[in-house]
Amino acid sequence: MNEKVINIKNVSKIYKIDKFNVNALNGINLEISEGEFVAIMGPSGSGKSTLMNIIGCLDTPTKGNYTLDSQDVSKLNDNRLAEIRNKKVGFVFQTFNLLSRYNAIDNIELPLIYSKGRLPKPRREMIMDAIKAVGLKGREKHRPSQMSGGERQRVAIARALINSPAIILADEPTGNLDTRTGEEIMAILQELNIQGRTILLVTHELDIARHTNRILYLRDGIITSEEKIREPISAKDSLKNMPTLEERISKIEGNDDNEKSI
Amino acid sequence: MKRVFENLKVAFKSLTSNKLRAFLTMLGIIIGVGSVVAVMSVGAGATASITQNLQSMGTNVITISPGRSEPRGEGGAMRRFGSENTEQIDQGELYLDDAKVLQAKATLLNEVAPVLYGRNSTISYMSWNGQVSVTGTTQDFLAVEGYKMAEGNFITESDVSNLSNVAVIGNTIAENYFGKIDPIGEVIKINGKNFVVVGLLQTVGTAGFGASPDSSIYVPITTAQNKLYGSDTVDNIVAKLKDENQLDASIEEVKSILRIQHRLLPGKNNNFSVSSPTQFLATATSVTQILSITLGSIAGISLLVGGIGIMNIMFVSVTERTREIGIRKSLGAKNRDILIQFLTESIILSLLGGLLGIGLAFLISFVLKSFSSLNSLITATPIILALSFSTAIGLIFGIFPAMRAARLSPIESLRYE
Repeated sequence: MNEKVINIKNVSKIYKIDKFNVNALNGINLEISEGEFVAIMGPSGSGKSTLMNIIGCLDTPTKGNYTLDSQDVSKLNDNRLAEIRNKKVGFVFQTFNLLSRYNAIDNIELPLIYSKGRLPKPRREMIMDAIKAVGLKGREKHRPSQMSGGERQRVAIARALINSPAIILADEPTGNLDTRTGEEIMAILQELNIQGRTILLVTHELDIARHTNRILYLRDGIITSEEKIREPISAKDSLKNMPTLEERISKIEGNDDNEKSI
Repeated sequence: MKRVFENLKVAFKSLTSNKLRAFLTMLGIIIGVGSVVAVMSVGAGATASITQNLQSMGTNVITISPGRSEPRGEGGAMRRFGSENTEQIDQGELYLDDAKVLQAKATLLNEVAPVLYGRNSTISYMSWNGQVSVTGTTQDFLAVEGYKMAEGNFITESDVSNLSNVAVIGNTIAENYFGKIDPIGEVIKINGKNFVVVGLLQTVGTAGFGASPDSSIYVPITTAQNKLYGSDTVDNIVAKLKDENQLDASIEEVKSILRIQHRLLPGKNNNFSVSSPTQFLATATSVTQILSITLGSIAGISLLVGGIGIMNIMFVSVTERTREIGIRKSLGAKNRDILIQFLTESIILSLLGGLLGIGLAFLISFVLKSFSSLNSLITATPIILALSFSTAIGLIFGIFPAMRAARLSPIESLRYE
């Protein structure tokens, strides 16, 4: 487990806005090993988004080196970056970012459309595997508008999984979900981590971040501190103590009945 | 191949998600292609019917007309139209002797027939009266024009030399004046003079221009000259070529014979002209072609407007789908993939519009055929032209929006609300 999936050395990102240089990242050093589950926290303006963009190969650093899955990606052109994104990065967004005209299967299939070369398995099988991994069976033909937020995020996770990427980048994946649904999503991510997936999570909620093994704190473009979580919260366990809304309602109604009968 | 199919699937999915808009966008192309193909088809139809008419006049027949500032007679007017208009022609007349000389001396001609074209004459049979075109000619006319007898005989050589009062009638005349009576042997009055009907022509249909032979009456030319119209000239001399490939040589031969006959000194212009349907065919075809190209280009402007409509909608679509572009790029779509996606969409729009436009053209041509005398002929050329043109329009007007889409930054488009 010592293989470094992400190796970021002294990475800076400088934006030019009206002749002024804005340093979004100021010499970041970061290593993430295979199979790790890491959270990045930081206030807005701390450079979180910029770091995520660079790690996700949507952007390249101004200075420094970034090695993803033992490949230097800091100076690749747009086309090569697109290939890396397709093969090595799986994105999970706060706003799900599903295509509204496409049903679950078609959305999950998207990364395969842009894949070069032969697929390891028949397309259909790969999609079904991903659907099973996020527990979405029975909803394959639904469009995003016909699904709940939790279901949409499951589709997004399945889409991120499909090409077996080196890293899954989850940017506030629970941000648009209620607590219980968010916990369900965290349970899925934890399960994927147990299966060996490397996951990088960006969040501003400490409760969510504490589901991971390690929290990095980002401020003014540098990593200021790092915290190892010896006992991460198990989403599965907390779900057990978290009754569903329906259960609560029926419980209350049951009480009502009791009261009436008295 | 799989890539192409994938692209088509994606394009159809986004087009069908907004069917009304797709249709309205295509409408410009539909109308453009429809009108271009329809106009060109009407042009082609006109050319075809002119060609058909002229060919029925016979491509191996030449017409010799007198040098007149104003051609006389219906048929004469049209036949003169085909003569080379670059040639200077003096005033002059043609006589029966000219035809006789040509028949005797020309080696490249078969039959030669002088014609005194029909002035409308009053004819009557029993109590029926009417205005009919009466044409004077000789026994050879039948062979030159290629008409056939249904009954009886055509004018004979002795009829011509004897100035006989005999008449050969066309089929329509027979039906109108005689009905079920056998016209052969009946006596009709032409301008008050008695003529015996000796022959009935087979139905010819329309033949070139001027009066149809079906509604004409033919009499010996000498009779027409002396007894009906009091003229010693002829309107035309028609002659059949021995070999239609020797058109130019035949015309030259006719000219040299007639120059001697007319005693024209070298350096003087001809006082007659020689023309053939082939020449007229070329003129008529180029006229209709110019016409259909002109109208076609006007219709082509609407095709251009339709193309701009596609570009407009594609720009709107790119803006609307900025986020989709960002998502696709984050999942590994390259600039080229996005370019091809949007280009495929605009080409499908324009190509589909082109196909529907051809459908519209068929409809227009059907309506024209059923409700007017305009003949419309849809050929492969305008269809291929319209389809390739509309595809090109999709490509040209789609490329700018598609390039804008492809160049969008994935980070910014993911953030786009």
